[in-house]
Amino acid sequence: MRTPSDREIHVERIFDAPRERVWKAMIDPTLVAQWWGRGNKLVVERMEVERGGHWRFVEHSDGGTHGFEGRYREVTPIERVVQAFEWDGMPGHVILETMTLEDLGDGRTRLMNTSLFMTAEDRDGMMQSGMEEGMNESYAALDRLLSTME
Amino acid sequence: MVQYSRHTDLAFAAIADPTRRGILERLGHGAASITELAEAFGMTLTGVKKHVQLLEAAGLLSTVKVGRVRTCALGPRRLDEERAWIRSYHEMLESRLDRLGSFLERTKGAAS
Repeated sequence: MRTPSDREIHVERIFDAPRERVWKAMIDPTLVAQWWGRGNKLVVERMEVERGGHWRFVEHSDGGTHGFEGRYREVTPIERVVQAFEWDGMPGHVILETMTLEDLGDGRTRLMNTSLFMTAEDRDGMMQSGMEEGMNESYAALDRLLSTME
Repeated sequence: MVQYSRHTDLAFAAIADPTRRGILERLGHGAASITELAEAFGMTLTGVKKHVQLLEAAGLLSTVKVGRVRTCALGPRRLDEERAWIRSYHEMLESRLDRLGSFLERTKGAAS
């Protein structure tokens, strides 16, 4: 795990499973329901795995229900998913998750996840313009700002 | 998960604007008056005051008026709640991927 900045999180895992199996576990709603929900009942309300498609998962626990949702921005089968992630409890705060699967050639698969924290304005602007470069620039500015605030 | 206050929304909205991020960045190097900020950013006093008010409402900036000069400095709140949300998400993400790993182990050999 590396944390290059306060606004971006990188997490990696190596799974002892071929890439096709990992991919299926990530995009098949019946499989997702079996691992995504922290040991709680998970209802997959929507899962349209395609560019622009919606996903919405609701987790039912003793403490109540938590809804999570977003849209898929990129779906490249067995290789890469880019999706927005929002929790109902933090409206307007969007996390852009990029998950990449790498076939290690020995039956194992490396999953690399990058999560970028954004505001709803950032997301809407990005959706409209498709300019990730501008977003990266504004986050570089924010990183500089945060480092001066330490 | 912890519930976060309205302040967090204000703070994210406040820092969504490049000029306001610039103001905070400038104040990170030391306090400045409204007039100094207006000069530094090539803006009118009224324009700067609007940004300052938004940042003040979010608790990211505080002002003190001495005589006719209003001085701005970084506020008490900074970005603590945002950091808490990011930490909480990070833990959730790590455990989600751990569960994916366990699931793959558990279903190994099963038809898939």
